[in-house]
Formats: sequence, C-alpha cells, structure tokens
Amino acid sequence: MKTILAAGITAVTVLLLVIAWFQAGGLTRHEISTGATAAEAVQALMADIQSRDWERAYSRLDRSNDVQKPVFIRDIAGSDGSLRTYGSLQSFDIYPLRADDNQAVMRVRMKWSTAVGSIDDTRDLTVRRDGSVWRVQWPKPNFVTVPPQVIPVNYLRWDIVGRDNAPPWGTQNVDSPQVRIISMNAVERPDRVVVMGEVENEDTVPAYVNVNATLLRPDGSAIDEEGSFDLISHTLLPKQVSPYRIDFPGARIANVKSVRMDARALLVPASADPVIAVSDQAVNKDGLGRTILKGDLVNQSGQTVNISQVLATFYDGSGKVIWVSDGYVDQALFPQVSTPFAVDVPDDVVGRMSTYHVVVNHYIRTSS
Amino acid sequence: MACRSTAWTVALLATSVLFGAYGFASDLHVPFSVNAGQGFSISTEGSGDGTFYLLGPGNVIKRPVKLGAEISITSDDVANSGQYQAILCSSQGCAAATFQVHAGDPARLSFFLHPSRVPVSTPDAIVATAFVFDRYYNPVLQTTKVEFQISSGAGADTTRTIPVQRGVAWMRIGSSNKAGPVRIVASVADIREPRVIQQVAAEACSLRMKATPNAKGALLETDPVRDCSGNPLPDGTIVSFTKTDTTGKTTVDAPIKKGVARAQVELKGHSQISVACGVVLGNEISVAGKT
Amino acid sequence: MILLRAFRLVHAVVLTMMLCAAASAQSASNLPHVTLNADNLGPRPIEQVTGANIARNYAVAWEALTKALEQNRAALLKEQFIGFAKDRLTQRIADQTRTGIHVRVVDQGHRLKAVFYSLDGAAMQLIDEAQIQTQVYDGSKLIYSDTAPHQYLVLMTPGADRWYVRSLESSPSSTP
Repeated sequence: MKTILAAGITAVTVLLLVIAWFQAGGLTRHEISTGATAAEAVQALMADIQSRDWERAYSRLDRSNDVQKPVFIRDIAGSDGSLRTYGSLQSFDIYPLRADDNQAVMRVRMKWSTAVGSIDDTRDLTVRRDGSVWRVQWPKPNFVTVPPQVIPVNYLRWDIVGRDNAPPWGTQNVDSPQVRIISMNAVERPDRVVVMGEVENEDTVPAYVNVNATLLRPDGSAIDEEGSFDLISHTLLPKQVSPYRIDFPGARIANVKSVRMDARALLVPASADPVIAVSDQAVNKDGLGRTILKGDLVNQSGQTVNISQVLATFYDGSGKVIWVSDGYVDQALFPQVSTPFAVDVPDDVVGRMSTYHVVVNHYIRTSS
Repeated sequence: MACRSTAWTVALLATSVLFGAYGFASDLHVPFSVNAGQGFSISTEGSGDGTFYLLGPGNVIKRPVKLGAEISITSDDVANSGQYQAILCSSQGCAAATFQVHAGDPARLSFFLHPSRVPVSTPDAIVATAFVFDRYYNPVLQTTKVEFQISSGAGADTTRTIPVQRGVAWMRIGSSNKAGPVRIVASVADIREPRVIQQVAAEACSLRMKATPNAKGALLETDPVRDCSGNPLPDGTIVSFTKTDTTGKTTVDAPIKKGVARAQVELKGHSQISVACGVVLGNEISVAGKT
Repeated sequence: MILLRAFRLVHAVVLTMMLCAAASAQSASNLPHVTLNADNLGPRPIEQVTGANIARNYAVAWEALTKALEQNRAALLKEQFIGFAKDRLTQRIADQTRTGIHVRVVDQGHRLKAVFYSLDGAAMQLIDEAQIQTQVYDGSKLIYSDTAPHQYLVLMTPGADRWYVRSLESSPSSTP
C-alpha cells in the first residue's frame, strides 16, 4: 500500500513537471534551438538575444560578411551608456519577406523594454542555408570612428552658490526663474484628453520646468490633475522654448469647462554645452508603413551624450500646436557624429500639420 | 458637534459665575499696556501665600508670591507683544487680569525686493516690501515711516518715504532702460537693509544674422544680439537657427557667446535660413549651396 | 433561516459602514469654522483658489494649536506654523509643560478679513475676529477661564503646498 502510494505521488509529480515544462514554452524553445528553417533560425537568434546569451547568438551567425563578435554585441546590446544598454528584448515578431531553397529575407520587429518605455527596432535579416541548418547573416554595422581631436569647450555654465535651504525670513535670496506658458491647446483623442503647447524660459538663468494641468468641470471642481512627466524638455536655458504634452487617460472633453495651467520653475545649475543639431528632418513612411518624422542628431560638442530624447512639435497653418511626439534614441551620440532618430506622427496630424520643430533632451552619465 | 459645543459653553459660564463669587480684578493691579521688554511691577492685595501665573503669547511663568507684596515682572517676561493674562491664586481662590504688551521701537526690518532679475524698461516691475519689527521680532504697529533709497546705473539716486501700516510698508517702481544692478536700501530709525537686484536685457530686438559659406557649408552668425534699448542679451541665451532645403529641415539651438550666436550648417542645394530668440523672429536669408 | 442570517450579516455590515462614514465626517468637521472676507484687499488681488486655501489652512492651524495647548505637544504645530509664531508657541508649550499648566480652548469660529497681500504673493496679513473660550488648568485645578472675543493680527506666508501662520498677535477684540 505504501509502495503504491509513493509511486503514485512520484508519477503525479513528474506529470505536473512535464505540464509545467510545456506551459513555460519548453517545447517551443526546443524547436527554436534547432534552426531547421529560416524562420526557426531567426527565432533561435532572437531567443538567445532575449536571454542575453551573446556567445550562443553569435554562433548562429553566418560569418561570410565578417561580423566580429564585439561588433555584433555592441550593435545589439548597445554601448557607451546608451539607452540600449539599460534595456532588454521584451518580444519580437518575424515576417517572411521572400524565400527560396537556400536563402530567405526575414523582417524582425524587436520590442525593447527600457526604463523610459518600449523602443521598436525593425531589421531585415538575410538567412542562408548552411548544410542542414540555416544561419542568419547579420548586417555589418557601420560604426563611425571618431578621430582623435581636441574640441575646445567654452560655452557658458551656470552655478548656484551660497543658497541656503532655509534662509531667515526677509534676507536676500534669489528668485525662481520666470517661465511662461506661451500656448495651450486641449484636444480629445480616442481614449483621453490631451493638453499641449509650449513654455518659454523668459529669464536670464537656467530653469528646471514642470508643467501641470487641472481639468475643471463647469462648477469649478477638478476632474483630474496631471503633469507633463517626460513630454517636456525640463531644463530650459534662457529664452529656450519647449513643447509640453499632458495626457488625461479616460477623460472626455465634453465634461471639461476650463483648464488650469501651472508652470513651476526651479533655479538649477546648467551648462550650455552640448549643442545638438537636428539635421535633415523630413516626414516619411518607415518600413512598417507608419508615418514618422526622421532626421539626424549631430552632437557638436566633445562629450558623448549617453541618452537623448527627441521632442517634436507639430503646428497647423495658423501656428497652433496640434501634436507633440517624443522618442528616445537608444544609441549614444558621439562627438561630431551623426546619429539617426525617428518619432511617430499620428495619421490625423499628418493631414493637418503645416510645420514642425524638434528639440533634443540629453542626459550625460557623470563618472563617480 | 453643536451639542458638545453648547455643553462646554454652559460649563464655562457656570464656572465663570462660580469664580466671580470670589472676586476678580480688584485683587490684582496691572497696567493697561506696557512696551515689550519693559519690566514693571504688579501690586497685589491680601495676605498670606499665593501662586502667581503669567501667560503670554510665547511664555508661561509660575512662581510662589506673598499676597500684598509687589510682583516684579522682568523685561524677559514680557518680550513678546500681545495679550497677557496675570493670575493670582490663593486659598481664597483665583483672581485674574489681562493687559496688552505693545511692540517696542523699530529695531529690525524684513525687507523683500523682487524680482531678482527684472527686464529693463518695464513699468512697476520692481516691488519692495518691508516688515518692521522691534528687537524681539514683534511687529511694530505704531505709526512710523520707512525710507527706500533707490540707486541704479541710470540717473540720480532717489528716495521714497512710505508710512507703515500694520507693520508693513511697500512701494513699486519701474525698471530703467539700462541693464545693471539696482540697489535699494530700506531704512527706519537707524536700521538699514540693502538689497540688490539685476536689471537684465529684455527680449531681442532687430535680430539679424548672416551666412558665410565655407568648406563645410555655411557659418551662420548673428549680429550682436541686443534688446530695443541697446542692452546686449547675456551669454548663454539660446538662439535658434532653422535651415530648410531639399533634404528637409535642420535646426540648431546655439547659445550666445560674447554677444553673438553662431552655428555651422551643411548646405545642400538652395536653402532658406531663419533665426529666432525666444518668441522673437529675426531675418530670413536665402543661400545657394552644393547641388 | 440561512436567508435570515444573511440579512442580519448584511445589515450589520451596512450599519458599520454608516457609522464609519459618520465618524469620518465628524472628524472632518472638527475644524473650526473660518470665513474669509477679501473685499478691498490690495495691492495684489487674491485668486479664488488662494482664498480657499488660506481659510482652510488657517482652520487647520487653529485645530493644531488648540490640541497642542491642551496636550502640551509642540510637535503638532510644525505642519501649520513657521518662523516667529512657531518659535513662540513652542516656547509657550515648553513653559506650560515645565509648570504643569495646560490650556483648553473651545474654538467657535473665526472671521478673517484679509488686509494686505504683497505684490509678489509672498505674504498676506489678516485680521481675525475669533470667538474662542479659554480655560487654564494647573494640573487638574481650573485657575482661569475667559469667554471674551479676541482679535488677532495674522501674517501668513506660502510654502510648497500650503499657507503657514508666521505671526499671530493677539489683542482684545475691537468689536463689542
């Protein structure tokens, strides 16, 4: 009796383990690891990238185009403190574009998860048959080498000295910077109300700016209060203008009588360096048919910009702000080197926009 | 809440009647008012031992006393202005009296001058507010005046005398048309509080730029950026250059350095270039580039 | 039978919820009644939101003050008082504790009149006609009680998220 009971428990345990293995995708992973077809080869490569197993991922590559392992890892995992280095591959979708017996072209759309949201990366990969397995021919990245040089930096820098957190009441102090909301437009989107516009630092000192908005009912009571979060360029130098966008999920504009705006500014130390030029901006379609505003960022300073965010403001013919888009660049911006960017443009905005303006937020990792 | 409040009121009234039966103010003689920091004496009636209490806005005293003797109140006991309760308790009950302590002579100023940076040529832009206190930081409510001495780079120094109301004196002036420091000294009696703010250049005026072709494209450079009064905009102020050509649009936000903003752009074909500083637009120029 | 038990259970839950709601409403309404008159206020005009905040913050300050004076707990003052007012009241409570005195205040409301609002928005002066009743105890012995109305000259200054009482100067009420 006891023997039967022990055997039964063991059998049930093994059965449960097998079920769990299937449920966790063990069979899928086993099939992926074979690379017996072009799609499987790409899937296997993506699975290795997802688990950050660079050795195994590199071993699946076709070496005919001489992609070195450090170059491959740098291309896929990022470098120099870029946003990609803090991200992980969350999911991927593979679409066959064309195929024959020995070669195929697969489009893979990778969704990377980062601290600032998800980033899409779409690539077309050529896959070749090598005997009984298929191997991915990773496109050789073209990293621009920055030639050694000396770049003088003599832009202005602001420091704040002698500021006490709690000065006695009535003693000399410095005022917070003067900022002004120069435009505001509240629109309804399918699932939310969006308040957007532009804010200017009217002062002669740098300002750290936050813009909040409160939707008010006809009786003056508040429906909701939200802030701009990262849909604004927070640090504004003197006379600098930034767009802002504040989303109110679930709100309906029919219920809104007015909007109360609140722009707050703090005095912060800042530097006028780096200057980042935004060149060759144009509205186009990407490989997936989405409308994007793309261009190049050129870091004109001597410092590497680890993480950069592009904010694009779209205006109609009368100069009114009709949309604000943002996108993070997952590569570092090297000095004097051009780096591409792209931000989404909603289809309904494309038809109404007359012009646009792009500003760049930058974050430089300080060495400790 | 209403029920509880009414019950308290009835209890307090009953207690007041009860205490009234023992006699109140006649046992304790206090001055109607004194100045802060001015010691004085309270005379008492009766004989025997008692306990004296003095409750002020910022202090409480309790000490044993002899009835019939004078109770000495030191300057520290009445440093804070406001209403005080003097209470004398003995075996026969408690007697109480109230008196007012007024602020002494002006001895301190809390002086606010805003804003720290004010654009030139702006009417009523500078606001000066002074709160007058005595040496114990009591607000001086007595009639007095504050003198504001104004000196800036433009014009002669001026003085404005403002009467103090409820311990506050304020005034406002416009900024002059010359950038630079403005010093205002608030004074009352022999106290002087200086403050300095900066008059800064206003919005850019007649913003103009030129393009100089070079090997890399063109160097865009503004004329010295000034406001309408001729004051140069401070270094670090952002100037935006926008170039539109066949390949698209290029924008560079460049800070002013030594009065001038510069940016290097590539030229591809015919280009239209504009410049702006804040919300002020400058001139537009057309430049032919490489095709 | 089961239905009856279920009904009794639901009834008990609903009754408890009603009592809790009443209790929380009661605690919220323990704030003294404060009205603010800002007619003829200058030189800076007052925004509606600011006026509402001033009245509410002043009521909360007085609630804290009455508790602090009765319980001799100066820590209750720190959220609503600042500067001179906080220093003085803290010293007063320290003296009360040392001498064994505590003060019970019945606050029956305040009529605030705003008389000065600085142009930079950094300070507001108000005159408070307060209906408060005071009892002073030495230990458990009542030594003084007072039902006369009081007048206060109040100075309030804005903080990050509220208005603080910076100065609270008492005098006999000018209104009979």
